[in-house]
Amino acid sequence: MAEKSYRDAIRDAMMEEMDRDPNVLIMGEDIGVYEGTFRITAGMLKKYGPKRVIDTPIAEAGMVGTAVGMAMLGLRPIVEMMTVNFAIVAADQILNHAAKVRYFSGGQVDVPMVIRGPHGAGVQLSAQHSQSFESFYAHFPGLKVVAPGTPADAKGLLKTAIRGRDPVMFLESAALYGMKGEVPDDTNFTVPFGQSRVAREGRDVTIVSYSRMMQMSLLVADKLSKEEGIECEVIDLRTLRPLDMDPVYASVSKTHRAVVVQEQWKPFGAAAEIAASITENVFDELDAPVVRVTGEDVPMPYARNLELLATPHEEHVAAAVKKVMYR
Amino acid sequence: MSEIIMPKMGDAMTEGKVIRWYKKPGDAVKKGEPVLEIETDKVNLDLEAEADGTLGQLSVNEGEMAPVGGVLALLLGAGETEKPKEKPAADENSRRATDKKDSIKHSTGEYGEAIEMKGPRIDRASAATSAGTPTAAAPGGDGGRRRSSPLARKMARDLGVSLDQVQGSGPSGRIVASDIKGAQGRPAAPSAQTAKPAAQKQLEAKKIRHSAMRRTIAKRLAESTGPIPHFYLTVDYDVTNLLIIRQQLIDISGTKVSVNDFIVRATALALLQHPNINASWGDDAISQHGEVHIGIAVATPEGLITPVVRNADGKSVVDIAAEVRLLADKAKNRKLMPNEYQDSTFTISNLGAWGVEEFTAIINPPNAAILAIGAATRQPVVIDGQIVIRDRMKVTMSCDHRVIDGATGAEFLKSLRQYVEQPLRLMI
Repeated sequence: MAEKSYRDAIRDAMMEEMDRDPNVLIMGEDIGVYEGTFRITAGMLKKYGPKRVIDTPIAEAGMVGTAVGMAMLGLRPIVEMMTVNFAIVAADQILNHAAKVRYFSGGQVDVPMVIRGPHGAGVQLSAQHSQSFESFYAHFPGLKVVAPGTPADAKGLLKTAIRGRDPVMFLESAALYGMKGEVPDDTNFTVPFGQSRVAREGRDVTIVSYSRMMQMSLLVADKLSKEEGIECEVIDLRTLRPLDMDPVYASVSKTHRAVVVQEQWKPFGAAAEIAASITENVFDELDAPVVRVTGEDVPMPYARNLELLATPHEEHVAAAVKKVMYR
Repeated sequence: MSEIIMPKMGDAMTEGKVIRWYKKPGDAVKKGEPVLEIETDKVNLDLEAEADGTLGQLSVNEGEMAPVGGVLALLLGAGETEKPKEKPAADENSRRATDKKDSIKHSTGEYGEAIEMKGPRIDRASAATSAGTPTAAAPGGDGGRRRSSPLARKMARDLGVSLDQVQGSGPSGRIVASDIKGAQGRPAAPSAQTAKPAAQKQLEAKKIRHSAMRRTIAKRLAESTGPIPHFYLTVDYDVTNLLIIRQQLIDISGTKVSVNDFIVRATALALLQHPNINASWGDDAISQHGEVHIGIAVATPEGLITPVVRNADGKSVVDIAAEVRLLADKAKNRKLMPNEYQDSTFTISNLGAWGVEEFTAIINPPNAAILAIGAATRQPVVIDGQIVIRDRMKVTMSCDHRVIDGATGAEFLKSLRQYVEQPLRLMI
């Protein structure tokens, strides 16, 4: 075990997999010579050379389309988006090609590729570069959607993504890049998809979340425990597709109350899917309606004070917890 | 004008129940405002108005079922009035010609309702509920379901707590889990009060209409285990005292009195306290019977028949003994009249005389339960740390799960235990 940042954990995962498998390569804008806008790819061009660390033009559809072709023929490309927002330029390649080639080929051709990059709000990148896309991509069969909330999960889930058979949207929280945590050194350490974890045990309220909002929920849980004696159980979903709800159902069956926290906008978001699934599966266990905590329904402001107002905050989660407890 | 219809809330849903009208005929409603609450076999939910308007006459009253797609009420737009049903134009004119007294004379029934619709809306609102919906359930009655969380409803079911007795502490009076816990601690449940020995609870004949949930439970259970979904509860009663008293009674009265005669009276008295056991399943409702008629399974050469001790709760053990003897003789000679073997509300089968210690019996429809009485046997038991020899008897009740839930049956067997183990109660 070593203490590593979320950023370094991601780089370690990629380099370990590039060492392990010569078919793994990375391409993206400014990832080589410039070493990445968020410095995720620092040192990689030097180590692996321009054949495996490819600086691309500003042409996301072309990058992803190229990667789909590489993957169909046996390579394992990683495409870094400068932010995941830019991937919508390549949406047709992702949704209509990467996600469907196996289906169209009758299972003959896999598309093992990873599209990764900074995602979400919190680092003052304004309306076009702060959006959350997890529910958008998780809507489509054929894709995997990963949203790690710790350095260890970032490393373990990314390695699973690179080794897998599927196109993966790997959504890194831009605001967590500097966060440090214990990360296993073992080069074979991986975290499987579709295994939600109990990040904190508690008896009173289940908080369901992922990525940065999961970290914030843990802070709220500690605070409520100290100040109000309320014990929240925090579930970290880790992957939204596949989505592992069984730990959520087990938890709600214990606490009888659920709060779902997401950074993205409320309508048609991941929290809606989670809340609906809870209601469908453990309706009789609920003692209060499932409450969603979400971002404000506005394009993300650039101004720091307004950005803070537009994203979910600790007080919002605490208020939701008390609401479902009728306190 | 638009119709408020019973929505289809799931593939399996064919009908729904109107729980409560939030609005009265004539009330203004806004788009999106809840107009009524309905119950499906899975959920309760509010139906909202799809447009602004005025609520017309109700087609389905509180507590009644309606098929999916069935019209529940009309929603009238601005300036619209409801067309009186099958009302010729001539009637319309002649009605307008009548003076006030006449219209008062006609102020009930369908004709009266049509007149009511013409009057000022504000005043009529309260009148319409009393006159216009005569079968509307009283608060706390069948239709008086309250807001409650799913968990609270589940707990109430499991604990046998009636939501009507619970004050909700959540938003809009929602009953939540903590309210049920509070209610459970209170000794206010009426059935608990009457658990005193020989308390003569007044029985009344009544029907408890099936809720959608009860319907579903019944259907599912029946599909899984045949026409009557049985379950079984076995208890072990100490009959030492009963056997002593029986011997004394034989000595005093000179009548031959069997253990079973005591059981018949004990069962009848226990049933007085548990009208939900003295009941039958029907298509639309569970019928609780106003009288206790105990059927006694009697073996005859031709097969089984169950002569009935009518109103067994009002008869002494000695009376019951004599009557059962007579009925059993008639049964064996095939002389029973129909009124002597029909209309039982509960049945007892006793194989103790054959030395059978424990068995299960098949329910005798339309009864909701049957008792299978085993032989009394001498058993070593521990009392106050000492091993002593006592007479024990195993009793198994088969229950119709559509009518009786596990805890309900267990409560009855608990009451029965008081009578069997303290048989002086049977003499009071």
